[in-house]
Amino acid sequence: MAGEAPAKKEKKKVPIVEGLFTWPSDKPALIASRCKKCGAVMFPKAAYCPNPDCEKNPENIEIIELSRRGKLWSWTIQYYAPPPPFKMEPFKPYAIGMVDLPEGIRVLGILTTTENLKCDMEVELTVGKLYEDDENEYITWMWKPVEEEK
Amino acid sequence: MERDVAIIGVGMVRWGRYPDPKRPDEYPERTMPELAVEAITNALKDAKISWRQIEAMVSGVYLWVNQQAGIHGTLSGTAIANLMGYTGIPIVSVANACATGQSILREAVLAVASGECDIALAVAADKSAFGFFRPQSTDGKSDIDYMRFVMCGETNPAYWAMECRRRMYEAGTTEEDLALVKVVTSKPAPFNPYARYRKTFTMEEVFKSPMVCEPLRLLEICATSDGAAAVIVAEYEKAKKICKKPVYINAVAVGTPTFGDPTVRLTYLSSNIRPGVPTLSESRNAVQKVYKMAGMTPDNIDVIELPDNSSWHYFAYLDCILNLDPGESEKLLRKGETDPITGRIPVCPSGGLGAFGEAVVAQGLAQVCELVWQLRGEAGERQVKKDVKVALAQTYGYAGNNAACIVSKGW
Repeated sequence: MAGEAPAKKEKKKVPIVEGLFTWPSDKPALIASRCKKCGAVMFPKAAYCPNPDCEKNPENIEIIELSRRGKLWSWTIQYYAPPPPFKMEPFKPYAIGMVDLPEGIRVLGILTTTENLKCDMEVELTVGKLYEDDENEYITWMWKPVEEEK
Repeated sequence: MERDVAIIGVGMVRWGRYPDPKRPDEYPERTMPELAVEAITNALKDAKISWRQIEAMVSGVYLWVNQQAGIHGTLSGTAIANLMGYTGIPIVSVANACATGQSILREAVLAVASGECDIALAVAADKSAFGFFRPQSTDGKSDIDYMRFVMCGETNPAYWAMECRRRMYEAGTTEEDLALVKVVTSKPAPFNPYARYRKTFTMEEVFKSPMVCEPLRLLEICATSDGAAAVIVAEYEKAKKICKKPVYINAVAVGTPTFGDPTVRLTYLSSNIRPGVPTLSESRNAVQKVYKMAGMTPDNIDVIELPDNSSWHYFAYLDCILNLDPGESEKLLRKGETDPITGRIPVCPSGGLGAFGEAVVAQGLAQVCELVWQLRGEAGERQVKKDVKVALAQTYGYAGNNAACIVSKGW
């Protein structure tokens, strides 16, 4: 065997849609916009503040990384494969959740597990693969339950 | 409103799938404009007027343009007029997602109330009979809905299920409650000639149906259907001359969200949370507006058609319409107070979206058709037992769209 088969190259991890979270990164975070005047946060980022009382001035907007930890507001398990353009190969039932972050924003995302989920449990941002080809693994952000500290 | 307005004619097609290869006689091949023509023809017959008497028309815009219908799904108004025969009248096409039906009723009412014309038509046709809805672009750079779908795999029932689980957590809604919604709302289904699923279900059948998005089972979420409905409105004095039983429009309103509402709406990835702002604010805003316009409260309402897209919706929208705290709607259902025929406040005597399957843009008008038949006493075996004077309908749509109306006996 030695010297025969080429060493398996680790595939590159590529976000399915670029620009939504910091990548590559050991501690990926969602990229959002925040209004410097009222603190309103938008994900995905936008050029304007969504507050009806705020001036629509792009100069008031700053780009921020959202907190990586939040509370799971609610969740479900999707048992049937959604149609394209969603792609998960191979398909298996997965959990989706809504997570409340300290910035005052609630964000969607797939969860890393379908087991032992509870409303209001603490979760942390990570990434996970939905499908791959010969060269790349295609990833999205995912919420992972934080193990209770002993 | 400047002038009072009443409904003089309503018409529908039977909901289903056109074509349905298994039942070609009942469900032949039909395009969206063809379904609309059938609904308009039925409404004209009901009002006993001719197509040339329609002075303005508003048409619902089909959302799934990339899958079916293309540009004639978007420019639906003139596509329908092309089949009815062009008469040169003003026609506007409107897209407000599932809230389109009552949104276009509002436009037709405003055209008459303003004095622009005396008789106007709202029509919507839809071909939605396929599975989970999906985004309509292939571009991840500018379409948040596309990003949501490919990154989070969130289907419509998945959103409903998350709302449902939180309600169970906070208000104590049980799995029995969820199943009971289907059992109760399907009671009148066998008696509605326009319903797609004319069957009453048992608790056992609901519990045996597969889990689609936990905690919601297949029989606790609505299917998607093809359908078309039309409503003709006229200035009230003229309406009284045209028909014996004009249905008076007390109020019709469109609601959109309030900034700070924590609801993460379908097609979006997040929401901004501000303390004190309620969830489902587009729905609350629409309902509060129709009560204010009509000078009424929930106590005035004799019968309700609400958007029971899932068992969760049934409870959430009863809360919204009757101003209840979460948990109270479940109690009303368990006590039989919302029974569609015998209840104190009958809900969904049509059989609801459960019996129809949602034909997205047409559904709101289908609700109005049912209320008109209930007010006139023409609903046959599904006629509610109590005396019906005032009725309310509400539809809820994608991405922050809602509409509601209050109608009453105008004779």
